[in-house]
Amino acid sequence: MDWKELKQNFGDFVHGYFVSEYERKLREQFVDLNDLFMLQCFMELVGLPNPAAIYLLDVYPFFLEEFHMWHRRMGMDRSPIGSMPCC
Amino acid sequence: MAPADGHGSLADRQHAVLLKKPLDAARGKPLDVARGKPLDFARGKRILFFGGKGGVGKTTCASAVALAASRAGKRVLLVSTDPAHSTSDIFETPITAEEREIYPRLSGIEIDANLEARRYIDNAKAGIARMFSHAVAREAERQIELASSMPGVEEVALFDRIGDLIIERFDAYDLLIFDTAPTGHTLRLLRMPELVSSWITALSKRRRALLSLNKDIDQVRLAPEAVNPDDDPILKTLEARREKLEQIRARLMQHNFTGFVLVVIPERLPIEETARAAEILRESNVNVCGVVVNRVLPADADGDFYRSRRQQEQIYVDEIRQRFSAYPLVWVPQLATDVYGLENLERVSYLLMRESESPM
Repeated sequence: MDWKELKQNFGDFVHGYFVSEYERKLREQFVDLNDLFMLQCFMELVGLPNPAAIYLLDVYPFFLEEFHMWHRRMGMDRSPIGSMPCC
Repeated sequence: MAPADGHGSLADRQHAVLLKKPLDAARGKPLDVARGKPLDFARGKRILFFGGKGGVGKTTCASAVALAASRAGKRVLLVSTDPAHSTSDIFETPITAEEREIYPRLSGIEIDANLEARRYIDNAKAGIARMFSHAVAREAERQIELASSMPGVEEVALFDRIGDLIIERFDAYDLLIFDTAPTGHTLRLLRMPELVSSWITALSKRRRALLSLNKDIDQVRLAPEAVNPDDDPILKTLEARREKLEQIRARLMQHNFTGFVLVVIPERLPIEETARAAEILRESNVNVCGVVVNRVLPADADGDFYRSRRQQEQIYVDEIRQRFSAYPLVWVPQLATDVYGLENLERVSYLLMRESESPM
C-alpha cells in the first residue's frame, strides 16, 4: 500500500463518516415526517375524525409497505387495521 | 276542483289530469301551468338547491319547480338527497338511485348514500385485490366491511355523488334541482368541499416534503432510488381528488347559475332556523336566491278559528318580510288538500310561478 493509496483511503473514510452522519440525520427526519403523514392518513385509528377518510381509501393500496413499517415502528406487531392486510 | 283519483293505473290518472284543467284551490280560477311565469329568482339558474327545516315542504317546492321547468321545455334532473326520500311518493312513481326519466324531459334520482358508500368501498377493495395476492385480498375482504360503517362515510359518499352529478350531468340537463335534507345536514354538505380539500392540501404538502427529503438523501448517497414527486402515485391520487373538489366548490359558489332556495313556513321555529341557514350560506359564499314562504293561510279561509290563526300568523308574516327583506320572497298559500300526485303538484307549480304577491 503506497502513500497515495493510503491518503485516498483516509480521505474516503473521513468523507464516509461525515456523510453517513448527515444521511442518518436526514433519515431520522424523514421517518418523523412520514409518521406525521401516516398519522394524518389514519387518524381514525387513534379515535380522531378524519374528514377525508373515504377519499383516502383510494390511496391506501399504495401505502401498504409504508404502513407496515409504520405500525411496526409504533410497536404494533400486527396490522391494526383490517383493511390494510400487510400482516 | 276535482279530487285526485285514488284508483286506476298511473297512466289513467296522468291522462285524466292532462284532460282536465286543474283549478286554483284558493280562487277557483282555471290555471294554466305552461303559461305561468317562471320563478323570477330561478331565471337563468342551472343548479338549484331547495333547503329548509324538516316538514316545511322542500320536496313539494322542488318537485313543483322541476315539473314546471320541464313543461316549459327544459331538460330537468330532480335529485333527492334526503336520506328519507319522498320524491317517489310525491310523483307516485318509483324513482331510484339510478337516473330515470319520469315525465318527458324530467328525470329523477333518489341518492342512496348507503349504496354510494358501498360502491366506493368496493372500488377501493378492487384496488387492493389488483395489487395483492388473492389470499390477502380475501382476508382483507371481511374486515374492510368495517370501513363502510365508519361514521361520516355515507355523508362523504353522498357528497361525492352530488359532486359527480354537478360535474358530469351538468351539460346533459338545463337545470339540476337538488331537494336536500333538513338544514343542518345540507349546510355541512355544502361546506364539505372546503373542509376536505384543505385537508387533502395539507396531506399532499406533507407528502411533497417527504419526497423532497427522500431526494436529498439520494443526493448524499449518490445512488438515486427515490421517486420523482410527479410520479408518486399517492401524490397523484390526492391531487386529482383535490382538483375535483375544487371544481365542485367553484360550481357551487358560482352565483350566476347556482342558487339556494330556502323554504319556510310562517311559524316560530322554521323562521329562526331559516334565518340562521341564510346567514351561514351567505358566510359560505353560497347564493341564496330566494325564499319561498309556504302554507300561508289563504285570505278566504273563514270561521273564528281561522280568523284567530290568521291574526297570529300575521305577526310571523311581518317578521318574515322584515328578516328576509334581502331576498326575493314567494308566498304560497295553504292548499285545501295535501300535496301528492301530478294534479296537486301542478297547482303548487302555478302558485310558485305566478307573479309573487303578498298575502292579505
